[in-house]
Order: sequence, then C-alpha cells, then structure tokens
Amino acid sequence: MISAELKAVILKQLNLDDFNLQDDTIAPQVPGWDSLNHINIIVEVEHKFGVKFKSRELLQLKCVGDLQKLVDSKLGK
Amino acid sequence: MSEFNFNIEEANTLWKRWTLNAKKYPDREAIIHWLADGEHHRWTFSTLLESAKKFSVHIKSAGIKPGDVCAIVMRHNPNFYPLYMGISRTAALPACLAYPNPRLHPDKFRQGIEGMSQRSGLDYILTERELEPLIRPLIEKPGSTIKAMLFPLEWDTQSEVDPKVDDEIEKIANNVKDTEPFLLQHSSGTTGLQKPVVLSHRAVLNHVKHYGKAIGFSETDKIVSWLPLYHDMGLIGAYHLPLAYGIPSVQIDPFQWVLAPVIQLEAITQEKGTLLWLPNFAYNIYAEKVDEEELEGINLSSVRRVINASEPIRHDSHQKFADRFAKYGFDPLALTGMYGMAETTLACSQTEEGKPISEVAADRNELSNGKFKFAEGDAVVRVCVSSGKLIGECQMKIVDENRNEIEDGLVGEVATHSVSMFDGYRNYPEKTAEVFVDGWFYTGDYGFKYKDEFYIIGRKKDIIIVAGKNIYPEDIENVVNHTEGVVPGRVIAFGEDDETMGTEQVAVVVETKAVTEEEKKNVRMAILRAGMSIDINIHKVYLVPSRWLIKSSAGKPSRKANKERLINGSDPQVWSK
Repeated sequence: MISAELKAVILKQLNLDDFNLQDDTIAPQVPGWDSLNHINIIVEVEHKFGVKFKSRELLQLKCVGDLQKLVDSKLGK
Repeated sequence: MSEFNFNIEEANTLWKRWTLNAKKYPDREAIIHWLADGEHHRWTFSTLLESAKKFSVHIKSAGIKPGDVCAIVMRHNPNFYPLYMGISRTAALPACLAYPNPRLHPDKFRQGIEGMSQRSGLDYILTERELEPLIRPLIEKPGSTIKAMLFPLEWDTQSEVDPKVDDEIEKIANNVKDTEPFLLQHSSGTTGLQKPVVLSHRAVLNHVKHYGKAIGFSETDKIVSWLPLYHDMGLIGAYHLPLAYGIPSVQIDPFQWVLAPVIQLEAITQEKGTLLWLPNFAYNIYAEKVDEEELEGINLSSVRRVINASEPIRHDSHQKFADRFAKYGFDPLALTGMYGMAETTLACSQTEEGKPISEVAADRNELSNGKFKFAEGDAVVRVCVSSGKLIGECQMKIVDENRNEIEDGLVGEVATHSVSMFDGYRNYPEKTAEVFVDGWFYTGDYGFKYKDEFYIIGRKKDIIIVAGKNIYPEDIENVVNHTEGVVPGRVIAFGEDDETMGTEQVAVVVETKAVTEEEKKNVRMAILRAGMSIDINIHKVYLVPSRWLIKSSAGKPSRKANKERLINGSDPQVWSK
C-alpha cells in the first residue's frame, strides 16, 4: 500500500490535487509523470525521506509499489 | 592521435563500407550494446557483418524487395544493428520508429503509423511479438500499404544460410548506386505531421567525410550514446558515423538512461569514451540530478568532445556541467555545440574543440527587432551561444522574408546547402517544394551570423522542443480541442522556458465555460489526459473565459500574441496550474 507521505511527495511534484496511486500503478498512467518528472520525483523522494537510491535500484522499479518498498527498505521498515 | 582519413571512393555505399571495415578491422569492436543490469553484447566489425548477412537472407525470403521501406519498431536489442544492416544489404530502406510508450493510446499509435504509411509508403513492419495485437489491425485494414508484420527476433540467425541466396543478395548489394536511397527518417510529430526524409548513400558517406573531419574523428575515438535511434542525432551521429568510419560506439538503452542517467558516465569511465552528443537538458540532469555518491569512481578525462545539439544551447547548462565535473577529470574545453537537421543528414555547423564556445551578450530588444547588437548600459541581455562554423562542403546563409541574403548581424531565416542534403520528403512534393528551392533548404530556424559563426536564436515555425524532442503544437491542440469542457477551436499550445531543466515545457491556453474551482480542475485533468493519449506531457494549463484568445488575421487563435499576453500580463481572468 502506498503511504500518505509518499503519495503526497509524488502528487506535489506532479502538481496534482489527487490521484489514486495503487501498488501496481505505473508512471505512464499518471498525468505528468514523464521521464523528466521521474528524475525530479526520485530526487524529491530522496530528499523528503532522507534516503539515497543506487542507480541499479532505480532500474528495477516497475511501479509505485516498488518505489514504496524501496523507500521502506531504506528506512528499515 | 591518428589523422582523419576517409575516402568515399573506396566504398561508395554503406554496405560496401561496412564490408570494407570488416575486412580492415575484423576484430575491432564495432558496437558495445550496453546493459546496465546485465552482460554487454560486444559486436566486432566482422561478427556484425556476418550476422547482418544472415538477417538479409531472412529478409529476402520474407519477400522484401529493393526499395521497400522497412520500419523497425523495437526496444534496445543487440540484434537491432545486424537487422538494420541486413535490410540495407537487400537494397530495402530501413526506417527506425519509436517503440510505443504505454501512455500512448493504441489508436493514436496506429494513427501515427497509418499517417506514415500513407505518406512514405511503409511496406513492412519489423517488430516484437508483443506488439502484434497493436499493429495487426493496421495491416488488415483495407487499402493499407503495409504488406506484412515480421518478427526478426524469432528468426534463426545461428544456422548456416543458403549460399545461393546469399550470393544473390551480395549481387543486389553490389549493384546499388551511391545516389540511391539508403534510409528513411521520420521527422517528429505524432499524428500525421511527420515528414519522411530520404537520405542517399552518398549523402550519408559525405557526412562521415565532412562532419567526421570537423570533429576530428580518429581511430582512437569511442562514442558513448543513450540517444534513441529514431532520432537523427542518435541514428546518424552515434550509430552511422562511427560504424562507417570504423570506430566503436557504446549504445545505451534510452529507457534505462532516463531511470539512471549515471550509467552513461559509468560507460564512459569503463570504456574510456571520447565523444558524445547530448541535448541541452541532459547537461542540467547531470549537473543537478545525479547524486554525488553515485559519482564515486567516475572519470571523464578521456572525453575530448561533448556535442550539444537538438535544442538551443544554454550557457548556464554548460557552466553547471563544467563546474561539477571538473573534479572528475572533465575538460571544460571539450564542451562544443552543433547545428543541423535530418534534412542535411545531421550537421551544418560545429564549434571548435579545445577553445571556449563563442558567446555574445546581445541586447534582447534589438534582437527582437531583428538585429544583433552588443548589450550596453542597462539593456536587457540575452546571452547567445554559437553553433559554430560551417563544416566542409556545407553553406549557410541568413535570409529575409523574401529569401534574399542579408548582411552579418541581422536576424533572419537560416538556409543551407550541403553535399549531404536529403533527396526531398518522400511522396511529399508540395512540402519539398515549399522548403527546398534551387538546392537550398529553408530551415524555418531564425539566427544571425557574426564573425563566421552562426547563432540560432529561435524558430519561424512554432515547434516546441522538449528534451530534444520536436513537438508540433498542432498535435496537442488537436487532441485538447476534443476534450470535454474546452470550447472547440479555442486552444493554443506553446513552449515555456524551464530554466531548471534546461529545456522547454508544453503549456496550453484553453477557453472554457468552467466557472467553479472544481470544474476548472476537472477540465485541467481532462486536458492532461488528452496530452497523455499522444504521449505528450502538458506541463501547464491556462484556462481563460470564452473570447479571451486573440485571433490571428486568419481567424485562428494566435500562439505568439496569446503567449505574449500571458507572459506580459497578470489578467485575473486567467486560471493556471
């Protein structure tokens, strides 16, 4: 399940009021989530959660749920 | 460093050139197919040629004939390269198309292919099995020019081929003349505004000779690229030029690059890359979006030239990049710029290596009035970055609206004449006649010439360039027009500067009857989704009441006038997000 914190970071970066982000949501389904914004989202998630992602980890991300799991693993959840 | 040496007469078609390279440098690496999360595939000039021969036998057996247009729609795959070469060996024309992004609506994808097929006469689509359900309806449609869809990744290219068929194809390849068409590239555009550019063997080989000389190609060079091969800078610069000259290129998956840009820097470090082409936004990404920890071990001291092209070159982007990567061995004098287009194969002008790019601080107001003048006193400054001097056998001139050449320092349309000129837009004589007159191609770009260097400052056409990708505002306006809540015909799209990302972003201004905040938000979401359906990200939506948009003399909303009205004013009737 996507946490309210992660959802808030993504929606703010995409300038969206709301969007139903599910575990299996993929970037192309979300308005504004293109390759340029993807980089901004990742930088912003790192900043907000105080974590650092490796490029290899980023290449494995297929959906929002994967991003949530990656953040959780970095936070030791 | 070895001297530049390229003799067209030795091999006057691309196939003959590739064959010659395989003989001269059989064990030299030709293409390193890079996988960030797997083992790279390393083609030598001889293994690549042998594989291309096997593909060509399958191609001929599939019924493909000389002159047929073969569109390749494929993701990053090591067999792309020999397949492409194999098509050329049979004297058919390869044409790379973008693999559809999942956000692109299937109907829009089909419309795009259909538009191309009607215009350029696509004969075959060579693709992956996964796209069959998407493409099949197009082939079955009455009147379709597309004869078949083929799945070359399923062909057996390991077994020996029939020597008789192989000989027949070799004869076909040897009979191809240098003036015959070699490849077809589609200019940008989503739904039928694409212009099919046909390039001959001679045009491409001339480009290897003259542009290769301008950038000082040598046998010690190695290109490192993530650029998509449906884009002229990727296809010509990073693929054809090194392959024909006989030097290696590292090909990175563009989809992987956008997820983890650092992989290009890792490839440069590991492979000691010397040359790369980048669109301007990539400099900003590297300067600001890659984490310092990820850069551990990165060494860019092997890079002798990074060539900025495909979108306007920004002074700040270069500065940020040079500042950040100096400590990773990057030489700031390796920053260079290029100007060119698919119609001239690729480059027309290029800045020199080993010295700073020329920049001029122009008076912005004078520039708007069509004249370059150095800014003085409290004048508003626009720093213009040079796109360099002419490459060999290429001419450029700046012309007025009557297409008469104007003097240095005056702003006008750029026209060019080159030995690498295209042969016209395929099956599009009226468009060709519009822009191609007496051997001169009228580019639609605005610029000026100063001290033998060219400065490109804008566009006559309203094309929006987002991250090196050309987008026609008509495509966006067309889909937004049909969106609920939008007053039909009352839409304009334009490019807004995004300094942080070093590129333009798409904005739309739309007349709507929506009144409440909720209604406006719904209209905006519908507009964003309409953009998504043609794989375009609409960055900003301006909503205005009916009859707000200024019309041009032709009675249509004027992009230029309305953009200026938005930028210059603070109209309370304008809602934006």
